[in-house]
Amino acid sequence: MAVAGWSDFRFEGIGTQWEISTADPLEAAVGSRLLEIVEEYDHNYSRFRSDSLVTRIARDPGHYSLPSGSEDLARIYASLYRMSGGRVTPLIGGSLERLGYGADYSLRAEGAPLPAPRWEDALQWEDRSVTTRQPVVLDIGAAGKGQLVDLLSAELERSGHHDFVVDGSGDMRHQGGTPITVALEHPYDASQAIGTLELAGRALCASAANRRAWGDGLHHVLDGATGAPVQTVVATWAMASTALEADALATALFLVESTLLENEFEFDWLLVYSDGRARYSDAFKGRLFA
Amino acid sequence: MTSSTIRKNVFAGIAGLSLAGAAAGCAPSPQATPTETTVPTTGTTLATTQSSPQGSTAGQATIYKDGTYSADGMYTSPNGQETVGVELTLSNDTVSAVNITVHPSNPNTRKFQGEFKDGIAAQIVGKKLDELNVSKVSGSSLTSGGFNQAVEEIKDQAK
Repeated sequence: MAVAGWSDFRFEGIGTQWEISTADPLEAAVGSRLLEIVEEYDHNYSRFRSDSLVTRIARDPGHYSLPSGSEDLARIYASLYRMSGGRVTPLIGGSLERLGYGADYSLRAEGAPLPAPRWEDALQWEDRSVTTRQPVVLDIGAAGKGQLVDLLSAELERSGHHDFVVDGSGDMRHQGGTPITVALEHPYDASQAIGTLELAGRALCASAANRRAWGDGLHHVLDGATGAPVQTVVATWAMASTALEADALATALFLVESTLLENEFEFDWLLVYSDGRARYSDAFKGRLFA
Repeated sequence: MTSSTIRKNVFAGIAGLSLAGAAAGCAPSPQATPTETTVPTTGTTLATTQSSPQGSTAGQATIYKDGTYSADGMYTSPNGQETVGVELTLSNDTVSAVNITVHPSNPNTRKFQGEFKDGIAAQIVGKKLDELNVSKVSGSSLTSGGFNQAVEEIKDQAK
């Protein structure tokens, strides 16, 4: 699904599907550069590659230079780490691997969940410079896809494209004079939407808990400790000027009250709870189906 | 935190779900972390061994014993590690009741158990995507994670 009359360039990268839609046809050389950017990003940040930079960092503590753009990751992770009391962290990777999601995909837990090491104990990350004191697994998953959306958008701009959408499987950035209408996918049913939004010159990213289609799902989530129905966040959307911010904030909305995030970030947000209720900022007002 | 403790589940039923239907559409998500562990609920009768109406004895037919089964699944959400308890009541290879129990392990979940303080609450309503005129879809439809893991465990228990 793309914009009528625009050209679409589709490929797979960093484990997901991409669709880049441009008002003018995309030159082959530009397409090649976009793919190089994706490959370079994967080569730097993939935990699943033995030859990646983060794999080297995980193996050997020491000093490393990160690529251009990593200073933006450092800045937003530092902010969200502080605001979430350490719960949004780039150091979650060790915990994931303990649970069987490391490069070997053993999918077997190797022990009790391992808490992420504290940033201040394990990592110095200033701009593009990283110093580690112990083997740590850097995981930039909360913001990486968004940053790659931004990097691809910048390359399109440099190549003379000014009307486009870069869509990394639902996390997207729009540029140009023709707004697009975006459906907000129903958290429990991918064939449905809960509303639509006009996207113009901004980025929109979504995040979701891994719960699916429990029958009609809604209203049936109970707290085992109290037996009371729980209103827990099951899906979030964030709209911001960059996809890096939108992506990171969509994750942070699970862990930090939205009004606190508004103190430090200029963005719009939508939260959907397990009982089907929604809360949102102004941009989403009147956009949800009633 | 492992999920190997036996708990009392709280009930909320959904009728008429087939077992196949409940387990369908479960593409593994890179974030899902299926691990652990099956926990038969205390005090429920497992396996009253009714023969199925089909009564196939060919040995290949998958027939589940009637009863109430439960299992825990664990998954990683943006909230962190969570456990979901799933209890299914099976009769004639059909799920007649589904109960979901979550154990919110982080303060954000608990915080929202009360009433909404502000007025901007609405109930979401779905419309079919193919009835909408849109260019793009934003979202990540919720993958099965712990739920389908638990269903798989139950299918094993119920054989």
